[in-house]
Amino acid sequence: MLMKPYCLCFTALLLVSATLFAGEKPQRIVSIGLCTDQLLLMLAEREQIASLSVWAKDENMSYMIDAVGEIPLNNSSVEEIILYQPDLVVASQFAAWDTAKFLRQLGYEVKQIPTARSIEDIYALLRQFGEWTGNQKRAEAMIRTMQQELREISERYAERPTKTVIVYSPNGFTIGANTLENDLFAHAGYVNLAAEMGIEGFKPIALESLIAADPDVLQVDRTLSRADSLATAYMGHPALEKMIEHREYLDIPTRLRICAGPMITEAIENMARRR
Amino acid sequence: MNIKALEASTLYGILLPVLLLVLVMAVNVGPVDIDLGKAIQDWLDDQTTIESLILFDIRLPRSLLAMLIGATLGLAGASLQGLLRNPLAEPGIIGISNGAALGAVIVFYYGIAGIAWFLLPLGGLIGALVAMIIIFLLVGQNRSIITLILAGIAINAIGGAFIALALNFAESPYAMQEIVFWLLGSVSNRSVNELYIAMPFMLVGWGMMLYCGRFLNALTLGEETAKSMGFNVARMRLVLILGVTASVGAAVSVAGNIGFIGLVVPHLIRPFVAYEPRRLLLSSAITGAILLLTADIVVQILSDNGEMKLGVITALVGAPFFLFLILKSRNVLQ
Repeated sequence: MLMKPYCLCFTALLLVSATLFAGEKPQRIVSIGLCTDQLLLMLAEREQIASLSVWAKDENMSYMIDAVGEIPLNNSSVEEIILYQPDLVVASQFAAWDTAKFLRQLGYEVKQIPTARSIEDIYALLRQFGEWTGNQKRAEAMIRTMQQELREISERYAERPTKTVIVYSPNGFTIGANTLENDLFAHAGYVNLAAEMGIEGFKPIALESLIAADPDVLQVDRTLSRADSLATAYMGHPALEKMIEHREYLDIPTRLRICAGPMITEAIENMARRR
Repeated sequence: MNIKALEASTLYGILLPVLLLVLVMAVNVGPVDIDLGKAIQDWLDDQTTIESLILFDIRLPRSLLAMLIGATLGLAGASLQGLLRNPLAEPGIIGISNGAALGAVIVFYYGIAGIAWFLLPLGGLIGALVAMIIIFLLVGQNRSIITLILAGIAINAIGGAFIALALNFAESPYAMQEIVFWLLGSVSNRSVNELYIAMPFMLVGWGMMLYCGRFLNALTLGEETAKSMGFNVARMRLVLILGVTASVGAAVSVAGNIGFIGLVVPHLIRPFVAYEPRRLLLSSAITGAILLLTADIVVQILSDNGEMKLGVITALVGAPFFLFLILKSRNVLQ
């Protein structure tokens, strides 16, 4: 019973503070997921960032690891985050969604970036993020740079032949149509056979179907944890090893393609160069 | 029941062709349609083609593994039911399979399995043996069905909890999802590697169990009688227990805990072998192989991406049968 009035006061205080700053740039932004960590580091001013998630410093996952500096890190738990008294919390749709929901209930301003399924979606995402954090001009500049880079890449490698590709990840998952990865393949000059087979999104593919599809290139992720599990044991199946003996591997570092953002042009260049 | 016992030649004359038939069906089932004739031709010509890869590196090892594991479970069920003189004894129900899965999980996820090939099945064997010893301590000379079931529930629960705990602390980010594999079992994407690892242990275990046939026959008349017939009861019991744990430990360590095969099979076969424990052994092994292979065919037809587990099918068929057995033996329980 003691909690309720306390909560009400607290919420009221927040609302007041939120209205006071309305129309201005948020000044204490907290990110609770890798993708929003990177967007903040790229688009926002240093002084605007109150805290980033621990993933920002993950060697395999983070593209912006060197930019983190002294910014405090959080484990995406509600308790830690309210300590920063954020005026804006940013997250992706799937990272720490329970924390995002809880924070919203407590009256905090929480913005979740939508999942990008194409490069066009990334442009929209950057614009949106620029608006939220009050850095629209930087976002527009970033989009122009990306467009420029993509034009250069497609001109540079226009002569090379198209190749077929399939992604094979732990647990036998592949990436089909209607995904950002599929759009990256298209921009890099590859045909994704999983999408051709009618697979949509992120789904498991039978090893037999993979072998029967017989792609020119197989994309596997070797930067992921090598610790023993059945999921990674899939990658050691003798049938797969025999098949790929004479085939090319496409090994694009996770940090270049795990999040929607300008670094995906680097991933595309990487793929196109090896076509 | 009024089923007539069959001559050995008639029984095996039926079971072996059925096994062969199911095996042929199993290598025909898969998400991709392939020409098996071409696959065999390419293989004989020593050419690696899509067809030969799919038949000889994917389907055949998987089906052979399912056969060997089914045989192991059927044989272990028949042996345990004979040894404990209890119709509900089965590696899954009395907790031996979960014990084996726990041993295998510890060896597999903590980097021990990579040291030598035999450590994974050995881990399963040790886990199974520990569970078996606990069962014996709990049940002892008390042969009541209810004691065995209650002890089994306890061992199963403890085994399952430790599996979850071990997977929780494992380094791999995938470990926790894989609890489904260990608790329900699967041969999907299992290859010739797993076949080679588990086979030696399974074969040795089979030999030990089959060797105990006459002892199981004598045991139906009671331990004293078995002793008077010249059996060293303690030694034979140890041979049988080691046989069960070696083969079940190896089977579970490569395919997880597949339930109910060991329970159902001996009951199906018993009337046909005139309720003779010795004759029950080999026939249960072949029937177990047939049933598990059939279950794997069903799994592949229902879901071609390996997400459905074998234990789902065996439990759907086996659990109602288990209930039926309990209802039938209700008068014994009361």
